[in-house]
Amino acid sequence: MVISYVRRAYSSFAAHVFDIPPRLMAFMFFLILLFLPLAGISSSKMSVLIYANIFAIFAVSWDLLVGRTGQISLGHALLFGIGGYSSALLFKYYGLPTWITIPAAMLFSILVSLLIGFPCLRVKGPYLALVTMAVPLIIQLTFKWGPLYSIFGGDTGIRDLPRFFDLILIREQRISVYYLTLLLLFISSVIIYKIANSKTGIVFISILDDEVASKACGINITKYKLMSFVISGLFASLAGCIHAHVLEGVDPSMFSLTISFFAVIMTFLGGIGTIYGPIVGSYIYSVLDSFVLPELPKLLERFNVDITSAFESAKLLIFTLIVLILVIKWPRGVARFTTDKLKDLEEARDLDERGPRIWKTYKKKKK
Amino acid sequence: MLTIHLLEVEGLTKRFGGLTAVNDVSLQIEEGEMVGLIGPNGAGKTTLFNLLTGFIKPDSGTIKFEGEDIVGLAPHNIVNKGIARTFQVVRPFRHLPIIANVMVALKSPRGAQKIEWLKTMERKAADLLEDVGLSELALEPAENVGHGDLKRLEVAKALATEPDLLMLDEPFGGLNPLETDFLTKSITRMHLDEPSRAILIVEHKLYALMKIVKRVIVLHQGEKIAEGKPEEIAKNKKVIEVYMGKGTHYA
Repeated sequence: MVISYVRRAYSSFAAHVFDIPPRLMAFMFFLILLFLPLAGISSSKMSVLIYANIFAIFAVSWDLLVGRTGQISLGHALLFGIGGYSSALLFKYYGLPTWITIPAAMLFSILVSLLIGFPCLRVKGPYLALVTMAVPLIIQLTFKWGPLYSIFGGDTGIRDLPRFFDLILIREQRISVYYLTLLLLFISSVIIYKIANSKTGIVFISILDDEVASKACGINITKYKLMSFVISGLFASLAGCIHAHVLEGVDPSMFSLTISFFAVIMTFLGGIGTIYGPIVGSYIYSVLDSFVLPELPKLLERFNVDITSAFESAKLLIFTLIVLILVIKWPRGVARFTTDKLKDLEEARDLDERGPRIWKTYKKKKK
Repeated sequence: MLTIHLLEVEGLTKRFGGLTAVNDVSLQIEEGEMVGLIGPNGAGKTTLFNLLTGFIKPDSGTIKFEGEDIVGLAPHNIVNKGIARTFQVVRPFRHLPIIANVMVALKSPRGAQKIEWLKTMERKAADLLEDVGLSELALEPAENVGHGDLKRLEVAKALATEPDLLMLDEPFGGLNPLETDFLTKSITRMHLDEPSRAILIVEHKLYALMKIVKRVIVLHQGEKIAEGKPEEIAKNKKVIEVYMGKGTHYA
């Protein structure tokens, strides 16, 4: 009887091990994104959604490294910038088409991840955060450096890159870019999701929980940390490449702390360690940033308060406040909060049909 | 002919600043032996454990496992050579369910290699959990599981790599008599199932230990003061002295 119980148990193993959202919900989410352009959104607003897609890839890759492996990196912009720059340089010097430069840049980013990851991942916790924060800033300064102007183009970077949407032809350019980025977001998030929820993903979580115990289980933690760093870097560089070609240019601001913190904010908004959360977080961020917050000065003008001049600089402060409130109110993130609610509903239904499941006790304790 | 011991420790010394935690300890463990390691608090038992499993590097001395020098190897390499350990304070992966905790060990090179033909990793993990009596809790996240069960989980995790030498650091620590009894029985059964596997147990609870081991090593202030059969050790004057203090009329 016990054997049959265990057999049943591990057949639905993955669903119990990881926070898997109801499949229907993920499907609905992508379906909404798929039909969004048909809603008659203006071209300028379309580009906001394009950036949401790009940064969703970036944030999802950050979540694998930080949320699942526990290696806190505050310099994820490093691989973002490396991806963009290597694709741009390949075009500048060899004139290669986009579909060659992007894969080549991603391959190059593996090399960079290994080079940077090996020394960096030897330190832990806050020290790792500091080291990773410093590396992209050093590279940023190098790229801005005068003597290297002819190669990296200093502050202006490299301009006039081939446009990303040459790949497919739809009448409206913005919409074609939107669909292309959405497709890439879908593919990369599914790949990362599969990796994170595989047996290798279990090892990643074990490193997050207890490195010493992982070692005692015979796990070469350096290898797995590097693996996570490389996979995460690979997709961050993909996001960087797309960003470069959508913007038709790269500049040193790609390495800035702001970009790194995008990943942090989006992941915390959506729910850290979920992998699907950052996608939701990225959309929430973009919508708040471009559609909701700009209304704020107009609203305040009615009360004769003028903050338009200081508004841009105050934006990050407002976001920090929002994240702070969210982290206190919903520490598990918006996406996870929603899936938890849905699972509770499902479970209430299950309870009537099939009797209690052991997860029930777990859920109750959580609250 | 020179016989090769499973584990051969020669003149092992470790100092922490001015304190010599392990001082010139030598010991041998043969294949399939069940050995107890006892000693009062601060005797250096856990330090010796950490030295043998590579978590601490010794200042001097040699450790040979199956005739091979393992000093300086990383902990995970030592596990893959065939020495598995548990921890005195339980170290579960708290985000993972019990069954996934075991699967981490099965994902290690040695653990993966030891999975029998036509057997999946999940299947093997479930079997291991059944051996230690944790099947009912297989899917429960480790953070919700009680201390006694986590102690058994530690054993299952160590067994997953099918070690030639299993080292248990205070497996009965913090367990009630019932749980102690259960674990004692499962360790004995484990030993019967796999007679070639040597087991080294560090323990405070002498009563539980003396029942299952054939040979006891006594450490005191980092030095080995006695070695022998449990009955002999129980009568050994020196051992009684370090445990009870001097003055024979009490002991």
